[in-house]
Amino acid sequence: MAELYFEKIKGDSKGYYALIIFLSLVTAWGFYGFWVMFTQGHETTGMTNQVIWGIPIVNVVYLIGASAGSLIVSALSGVFGKEEYKVFSRMAALMAALMIMGALLDIFLDLGKIEHGLNTTLYFNTTSIFSWNAFLYTSYFIISVIYLIAMFERKDKLVKGLAFLAVGWAVLVHSGTGGIIGFIYSMELWHSPLTAPLFIISAIASGIGLFIPTLVLTFKFTNKPLDENLIKSLAKIMGAMIIVLLYMFCVEIFTRGYVPANLEMLRMQLFDLNTPFPVAFWVLQITIGMLIPLAMLIFPPTFRSVTWISIAGLLHATGVWFERYILVLPGLAYPKEVFPPGYVMEHTPPFEYAAVYVPAWPEIALNIGTFALIFLLFIIGLKVFELLPKTELLEEVSE
Amino acid sequence: MISRRRFLIIAGSATGAVLLGSSQLEKALASARSESSDPSKPLWGMIVDVDQCTECMNQLVAETGNPDPKPECALACDRENNVPEFREKKWDPQWFKMLKVRSNLEGSEYLWVPLLCNHCRHAPCAQVCPTKATFVREDGIIMIDYHRCIGCRYCMIACPYNARNFNFKEPLDGLTEINPETDRRGHGVVEKCHFCVHRVDRAVKEGVNPTPACVEACQKEAEKRGFEKSALIFGNINDPNSEIGKIIRTSKAKQLRPSLGTEPKVYYVNL
Repeated sequence: MAELYFEKIKGDSKGYYALIIFLSLVTAWGFYGFWVMFTQGHETTGMTNQVIWGIPIVNVVYLIGASAGSLIVSALSGVFGKEEYKVFSRMAALMAALMIMGALLDIFLDLGKIEHGLNTTLYFNTTSIFSWNAFLYTSYFIISVIYLIAMFERKDKLVKGLAFLAVGWAVLVHSGTGGIIGFIYSMELWHSPLTAPLFIISAIASGIGLFIPTLVLTFKFTNKPLDENLIKSLAKIMGAMIIVLLYMFCVEIFTRGYVPANLEMLRMQLFDLNTPFPVAFWVLQITIGMLIPLAMLIFPPTFRSVTWISIAGLLHATGVWFERYILVLPGLAYPKEVFPPGYVMEHTPPFEYAAVYVPAWPEIALNIGTFALIFLLFIIGLKVFELLPKTELLEEVSE
Repeated sequence: MISRRRFLIIAGSATGAVLLGSSQLEKALASARSESSDPSKPLWGMIVDVDQCTECMNQLVAETGNPDPKPECALACDRENNVPEFREKKWDPQWFKMLKVRSNLEGSEYLWVPLLCNHCRHAPCAQVCPTKATFVREDGIIMIDYHRCIGCRYCMIACPYNARNFNFKEPLDGLTEINPETDRRGHGVVEKCHFCVHRVDRAVKEGVNPTPACVEACQKEAEKRGFEKSALIFGNINDPNSEIGKIIRTSKAKQLRPSLGTEPKVYYVNL
């Protein structure tokens, strides 16, 4: 195969500038949402003393996952020696770096005392998984940036070494994030040894899911030919991961449900239609996020079309966002069982069954603004860095 | 190919490492089990007599007609520690909450059970705090350094007892008077009961038995209502001759959620 050369995009079309302006405005709205939270306190959010984490944390968990997935996609060429994946390894690495930045931004902006935030770097608590993650996330961001620079400088051996390191680090980062949820023993709906592996699997799946449409759209708008087989092989990895995910959900739910004390909380999470959880779980996460994309990958007519595969990827990426939502929120909405089983608590607010949490606009703005910022920096990156393969070479390759 | 000699060396050292590692792990796990009880080193704890609380609260409900009244102990806590009062219960910080519980059998009587920071020996909040803003004092009191707290709220998630509160709003807005003796907080940090640590420190310096604000209020209320004893007892658990030390050593006082192994220093009797 011929040596690949990369180029910047011209980025002088009206569409490009329109997109920049649009994404900037959404980012500004997100920043305004944060500003309201920062100056007026968390009373502007929908959180309560019981549901103490809201959708900004869901977003953090999601973005870390998607970032790890993107980095693994990028490292496929280096780690498995798949030369044909090199076409998008730069792009995927940039996406990975931007998404971990978005995740860090969301954690940071959701803090109650942002001005104390740097204390996490000054004081390290070895028993706190959160402390370890502060170290893991920042180092992971730095590794992905160095990896990207090594690719720009065409230091092939270094790139290969860094690819291995980055994948290993992504697994660590993900196990750490799984630990944030899974280690917590005060809530049965959080405490699970499966969370860390589940995170890694769905990171790969959602990373690919989000990356396929990004790749297809970028190549379409820059008029570059894209080898369909690349997309299909990525989609196959995603499909396999979805099957593993479905299996792991079954294992987790049945293991939990076997304990009589857990039945009530599982009933709330899975079947109580007065809460948003059954719809989020069965419809958005399982059906739209997993079963339909899986069917689209198995059904030959849809698997033949890159457009349909992109839609499947997008659906799955959305489904995984709801998977994260189901991971974080039902546990908080179910009151902690302070008293022994056999006691009924007349719940005094804010401690109640199926505690209501409706995200307020500043949180929604923060979430959407983060995505806008990631894609804004991505399309600026396309203009500033040599990320996309040269068109003529691609044509040669595909011939 | 690995030679046999090399294989044996590798396998031998691997086994050695595993044995060494597991023995260290065993030691670390065992250290959690033992508990020292040196009476001269105080370990502060509290005992709640649920019968007394229920009696007092039932009278209060009958007097006020309010189904969920705030008793004197909770009011004293609010005043002592500058805990604000907000109408929206979802944001209202409460260091000392009164909860109503009953057995799940139809027709069971309600009990009133106070819930406060349990000052666990193995405190999950201090375990998860990313900045060590929550820490354990030598005398077992769990403290929060408001200047170090970043407001991530992970401690609230980890706390099995719902003891912690986040300052969603500026606390000053919910205060009618300010006690200059204790801390004030800004919005964005987590707060909770600290056994009136300022009173404890002062009492220790003066060589007397410390009494947190809620316990003091409880004693007064019990006297006023003509009860034989008060519901809350505070003292040094390590001292077998203290009132609390004696009751705990009857082995009849219970901890909440004991299966988690957090080993709270707030005990309940008649629950």
